[in-house]
Amino acid sequence: MMQENIKTLEYDVLVVGGGIAGGESALNLANLGYKVLLVEKELSIGGKMILLSKVFPTLDCAACITTPKVSEIARHPNITVFTGAEPLKISKKGEHKFDALVLQKPRYVDVDACTGCQLCEEACPVSVSDEYQYGLVGRKAAYIPFSIASPRAAAIDIESCILCGACEKVCPPNCIDFTQTEIKYLVKIKSVITATGFKLFDPLKIPRYGYEKYKNVITSMQMERELAPTRPFNTVLRPGDGKMPDNIAYVLCTGSRDKSVGNPICSQICCMYSIKQAQLLMGALPMADVTIYYLHIRAFGKGFNEFYGQAQDMGVEFMKGKVGKITEKENGNLILRYEDIEAGVVKEAEHDMVVLSVGILPNLGMEEVFDNERLKLDPFNFIDQADILASPAKTSIEGVFVSGTASGPMDIPDSILSGGAASAEATSYLRKENTI
Amino acid sequence: MAGGKVNNSPKILVFSTEKISDPAIDMAGLLKLHYPPTVYTIPIPCSSAVKPRWIMHALEQGFDGVFIAADGTDCPYGESCTTKTGELMRITQEMLKDKGIDPARLKMAAICSVCSEAFVKHVKSFSEYLGKSSN
Amino acid sequence: MKNKIGVYVCHCGGNISDYVDVEKVRKAVENDEGVYLAKTTMFACADSNQKEMVDDIKDQGLDGVVVASCSPKLHLLTFRAVTERAGLNKYNYVHANIREQVSWAHSDDKLGATEKAIKIVKATIAKVRNSEALEPIKVKSIKAVAVIGAGVAGMRAAIELAEAGSEVFLIEREFFVGGRVAQWDNLFVSEETGKELVTRLYDEVMRHRHVTLFTGAEVIENSGNVGNFKLKVKITPRHFKLSCAQGELQKAIDVCPVVVPDEFNFNITTRKAIYHNYPSEYPQLPAVDMKNCTRCGECEKVCNGVDFSQQTEYLNINVGSVLLATGFDPYEPKKGEFGYGEINNVVTLQQFKRIVHYCDDKLMYNGKEVKNIAYIYCVGSRQVDGENKYCSRYCCTATIHAAIDVKKKFKKVHNFHFNRGIRTYGKQEVLYDESSRLGDIYLQSFEHDPPKVERVGDETIVRIKDVLTKDKELEVVADLVVLVTGMVPRKDNSIGNLLKVPKGRDKFFNEIHMKLRPVETVIDGVTIAGASQGPKNIMESMNSALSAATKSFSLINSGELALEPTVAMVDENACDYCGKCEEACPYSAFEKVEKSGKFIVKVNSTVCKGCGMCLPVCPTNAINLIGLTDVDMENMIDALVPQV
Repeated sequence: MMQENIKTLEYDVLVVGGGIAGGESALNLANLGYKVLLVEKELSIGGKMILLSKVFPTLDCAACITTPKVSEIARHPNITVFTGAEPLKISKKGEHKFDALVLQKPRYVDVDACTGCQLCEEACPVSVSDEYQYGLVGRKAAYIPFSIASPRAAAIDIESCILCGACEKVCPPNCIDFTQTEIKYLVKIKSVITATGFKLFDPLKIPRYGYEKYKNVITSMQMERELAPTRPFNTVLRPGDGKMPDNIAYVLCTGSRDKSVGNPICSQICCMYSIKQAQLLMGALPMADVTIYYLHIRAFGKGFNEFYGQAQDMGVEFMKGKVGKITEKENGNLILRYEDIEAGVVKEAEHDMVVLSVGILPNLGMEEVFDNERLKLDPFNFIDQADILASPAKTSIEGVFVSGTASGPMDIPDSILSGGAASAEATSYLRKENTI
Repeated sequence: MAGGKVNNSPKILVFSTEKISDPAIDMAGLLKLHYPPTVYTIPIPCSSAVKPRWIMHALEQGFDGVFIAADGTDCPYGESCTTKTGELMRITQEMLKDKGIDPARLKMAAICSVCSEAFVKHVKSFSEYLGKSSN
Repeated sequence: MKNKIGVYVCHCGGNISDYVDVEKVRKAVENDEGVYLAKTTMFACADSNQKEMVDDIKDQGLDGVVVASCSPKLHLLTFRAVTERAGLNKYNYVHANIREQVSWAHSDDKLGATEKAIKIVKATIAKVRNSEALEPIKVKSIKAVAVIGAGVAGMRAAIELAEAGSEVFLIEREFFVGGRVAQWDNLFVSEETGKELVTRLYDEVMRHRHVTLFTGAEVIENSGNVGNFKLKVKITPRHFKLSCAQGELQKAIDVCPVVVPDEFNFNITTRKAIYHNYPSEYPQLPAVDMKNCTRCGECEKVCNGVDFSQQTEYLNINVGSVLLATGFDPYEPKKGEFGYGEINNVVTLQQFKRIVHYCDDKLMYNGKEVKNIAYIYCVGSRQVDGENKYCSRYCCTATIHAAIDVKKKFKKVHNFHFNRGIRTYGKQEVLYDESSRLGDIYLQSFEHDPPKVERVGDETIVRIKDVLTKDKELEVVADLVVLVTGMVPRKDNSIGNLLKVPKGRDKFFNEIHMKLRPVETVIDGVTIAGASQGPKNIMESMNSALSAATKSFSLINSGELALEPTVAMVDENACDYCGKCEEACPYSAFEKVEKSGKFIVKVNSTVCKGCGMCLPVCPTNAINLIGLTDVDMENMIDALVPQV
């Protein structure tokens, strides 16, 4: 260990994950006067929500809700944000005593100096697939993650960079710095909140749906990007040929309620986001037909069932049926072979675009970070809630709390409530320090 | 659809209330419940705060009608709101009569915080009335 | 007069600019009097634009700011904070709503929407031109919270508030705590019983010095507001001393001649007028139900704990915030709804849980053994014709869980689920899977064709057209029909009325914004938790209770609140004391004072809520609201009036 090179920092709480749940927890604690370090592995805070189009059931635009929260977090005097950073190891030294080793990866840009002018993007000769647009379009190796990112500063994707120096030459404030290296911090904290979120099911695991093989089969997150205000094409297009689709199918439960892919549980949000996208599509493409292939519609939350009814009234077609196989025609259209459950027969239908409503999977890794106490996982590998009915934010380690989808699938309102619960539990825990 | 033409519907000034009727009017937009774009809203704290002189000013300056989207019994400032709003309506309508202005150019209805459809119905029929009476 | 006003017109990604020509709006106002700069922006609320606004205000020395974007309910505070950060008084910021009330409302008329947006921005500029710097009114906040309802959500919130450092008054209308969860046995997913969970929470509540629990208590009056709610609490006596000798209580219950239906068991059993809900319920003290007691005095003779001399008490408490956790009522089916109240073996899910609770080796109802159970889902929820359009969220899982429990307890039972599409969302899915593996039968009806319950001879038959078998009707002879009744708002909404908490479309308490402020209400200082806001399971209620506790606490924590300075002001020269404003004011904010030889009124600005009820009643027009004066109003109206 090169202990001498590690800088020591002190905070009250370490929040791991800067999505809306972690953000809510951090803000609540900061507003009560606690010092918070928020560590986010992506280049921007805001999690998945900041990338969404509109949100159900109110159809508020996601950016309008997320961006002000994100900027409140970013400038709160009691919150320090590290983006592009992650905890490598957290040791519990005793009650209210945790040591976390946090890695700050180099961004190769001085964030404070960067004005977000995007000249480096123009100058960069390297094009790669844009992960924040879910691969729909490309980006440069010198890039701003997305237009409403926080911090809205450039970064260099060093893996793709050819070190040509073009970006350095054009940068007006000279903020590009290839000499940056990894920095490790020893962070002393009293409590930890894990808000590490979820990852999306990878539809390549279901080869019969032809994802990536057929260009016009996309995931719901890609459709989300096509509908978002910061959308890549400014309209909804088939990736295969740039045509506007007019007969779109949704395949629900892609990777959920499916033991064959190892995920027996329901992802809780796919029905609703698919219904929402269907409504948005009907607005964006008034001539288009939308069919949702489903098993059960789970419209359970406040205003959800009404929202489902609204979609039916708008003319969204709901087909109770399980999609077995998708094949592609020469013109890029797709044939869905499905079991029509109500008719009891196998049928085929042609659509010109298919959206796979992919489910929620646990974001593994946090359990490995804790080195001397075990962070227990539940049977589905989400973080286990040790006292689920009385204290839903408690984990198997006292002083470590879980916030948002790290403990299982949930929608945005539930994630925010869970974020509030985690901050409440952390507050109680922190106050006990003085009474022990 | 009005399309590319300038909308010549009657001009209506709505006094909405910040906590009760204005959220309903917001929600009308959210639900894409359409009404004439010549309906303008000024939010105030409570419908019983509207001064008759404001209404007179609006009608004299060129508004065709004034609609008070009242708190009704939901008023966060107390139940007396309904009677007080009714009283200022009465006084203003007297003033209108004295000046020879059609008192029906002032209208009031209680609009609860989720009464979006009711709001749209009211302003549409009010607009129709004003449209007819001006011809 | 402001002459360096900055105007920002927001695209809102397209939410506005798809329907309103924002560039045209910008051009139409850039030369208005006082406007120094006018810009359009993709997202006014984004960090980058906020930074730009701060820079503009500082570098260009702006003295007034307008953002034309979404509803002020979303971002008025955001932009006030921006101006404040830039060193400009936040009341020199005025917000224009061109999304909810323009682009969305008039998405069918782009030209009309653009015209309207221009007028609204012009009116807003007219207002900001005349705006003044104001300082908030500071009031002390009492570091205490009243939690209404001692169900699991209320108790959990009370514990949290006490641990955070607040004084807590936990006020329960019933004589016993635990709410609906006390009526439930095994709970999904922990398999703890409802009673055990209630016990755990109750013990913690009692352990906290800073929580005071009142049972049989109801808030009957409220004056005051955020920071200092003055609540009057009526405490109904339980007519029982704090202790009684061993065994005497049972004797007292035995001798009581009054027999009434037991509401705790949803009327499937009876109880006496002197009663417990269940053995060792909390507080562990019986109560006398004075509505039904005949005052015969028999109980007094055998038990010295009984005390009829106890009087109703009234208590005044002052708190900084009120947290509502008043729960729900189970839907009460109408007479004849699926045979309820007409066919004797039709019960509700809640009754069913109590029936199972009281059965040991055999599941019996009405003296007959129950083998076939038909569960009819969505009774009172997702109504096709009725008012309750919402899904009650918890019932699919609760029913399947109950059915599995019953099947494990009584091996001979067969479960038939007459559902409308099972909604075991999330991890609850495993329960559905388990139930199917145990052999439960699921039959799904069509939306407009619910199952029918009929009495034929001495059999109760449930018929359904199942989506799988389409036109063929299936029937099940049921020994017991369980109506899966959902959640409805509490029938008694007196506390909601008292505090003026608005309700949503589903008639549950409404939050300000489902995502931004999910536990706060438009009534400052009043938060909502648990099923009072909408159907929730226990875990979800706990999350909302903890969130509400955090919000209530952060409100009162600093001991000081900053109130809006937009209150009434009196023109002393114009005032000729007449007392009409005093009469109109719901808060007694006016005071008669003598000044320069005449009587006038003075406004107590910490009491005034700025409602404006005094404005129209003043015969000399001496009263104006700060921030909304006659001049402001007339300027705005003039800007809205079309200049043809």
